[in-house]
Amino acid sequence: MQYEILAKPASSVVKVQLNAGDHLTCEVGAMVAMSTRMTVETTTQKKGSSGGGIMKGLKRLFAGESLFINHFTAREDGQYIILGPTMMGDVIHHRLDNATLIVQGGSWLASDPDITIDASWQGLGKAFFSGEGAFWVKCSGTGDMFMNSFGAIYAVEVDGDYIVDTGHIVAFEDTLNFKVQKAGASWMSSILGGEGLVCRFEGKGIVYCQSHNPSSFGSALGPSLKPRQS
Amino acid sequence: MSFTITQRPDFALVTVQLQSGQTYHSEPGAMATMSPNIELKASLKGGLMSSLSRGLGGESLIISSYTAQGGEGEITFAAGQPGDAVHYALDGSTDIYLQRGAYLANSEGVEISSKWQGMRGFFSGEGLILLKASGNGDLFFNSYGAIIELDVEDEVFVDTGFIVAFESTLNYNVTTLPGARPGTNWKSLFLGGEGLVCRFSGRGKVWIQTRQIATYLNWVHPYRPVQKNNG
Repeated sequence: MQYEILAKPASSVVKVQLNAGDHLTCEVGAMVAMSTRMTVETTTQKKGSSGGGIMKGLKRLFAGESLFINHFTAREDGQYIILGPTMMGDVIHHRLDNATLIVQGGSWLASDPDITIDASWQGLGKAFFSGEGAFWVKCSGTGDMFMNSFGAIYAVEVDGDYIVDTGHIVAFEDTLNFKVQKAGASWMSSILGGEGLVCRFEGKGIVYCQSHNPSSFGSALGPSLKPRQS
Repeated sequence: MSFTITQRPDFALVTVQLQSGQTYHSEPGAMATMSPNIELKASLKGGLMSSLSRGLGGESLIISSYTAQGGEGEITFAAGQPGDAVHYALDGSTDIYLQRGAYLANSEGVEISSKWQGMRGFFSGEGLILLKASGNGDLFFNSYGAIIELDVEDEVFVDTGFIVAFESTLNYNVTTLPGARPGTNWKSLFLGGEGLVCRFSGRGKVWIQTRQIATYLNWVHPYRPVQKNNG
């Protein structure tokens, strides 16, 4: 896949070149601009479990439980699409080679349609991530994919043990074992220390981390904003 | 007239050198620093009708004017939001259309007015009400996020919320994405999130921004405190 990441690192977007018959699967709303010789089709992926028809999808749209996916297909050669995330931050490319990457829901931007997208993955436990719309996307297969971060993005090559605050995880390879645990020796120090829950990775594999935690930023802004009705 | 744009693309700052007696105009609040010999005047430039027309275009009715008195002066401009800035030299042949909020500053000889979009503007949630910059002189416009220049030689679709500016040589209309047209795939239109785009055709430049304030506000919304009703 031919691509270019522009306006790095804080306002990054990715420009992907597509020839006739090429496909790209993207997060809905990510399209900034594109050539006109393309078609688009929308499908849904239920978060937290699999399956679902159109009406169920509609219902979940309002409940925020669905991941809406756009499939772009080039009808002619020399087409392109520019994709951008919501938050200020970076975009990175990752190549899957018959492998699996678990991506934090808000960080999945686009992938090769040969990669299977499963938004119902709950391996880290839904209860541990109380933030609104928290879910994980399991990407498996072979092909190119793009992810976005809030702030800078950096890869940690874990060999042994490594601890990452749950809000700073962008994605990780499923070759790693993981468990959610408290950050400190006691609950008291974990909560007072402001870390709460962390993810402990074990084994060999890559963890992509983001420099900033979106929900910490949201919590910092919240008290200064006008109250909402519901 | 000499200028520089520094700190691109995230925190663009426009610095302009003014000759003695020369005047520059900007949206109110855009001035960051200036030499002490520069005199600031706020006015309804171009009279009441012209100001109301700018107001329709989503900009302030007031225009700030800066004049260098008794010598050269320097002034810097920055937009309210972090983002990019672009310079365009108007030569009378091509006008520039600016999306709501994209106007930053201009030299003398540039006229800023609004262009009535008719019904097509109303189909877009972004309010495709445009400002028109014409005449001879320098124009600066700004964005949220970086600005990318697209050279249109055929046609291109841009999500209406990401348009910053475009040349008047282009044709444009608000439409739906192919495959998202009613009757072919209604799901894409209603659920696709990208149902409405602007199709630019012909030859000319379009400047797009890489982020959108509206989607950021949607993201912030859940973090707002919830209003408590007493009784």
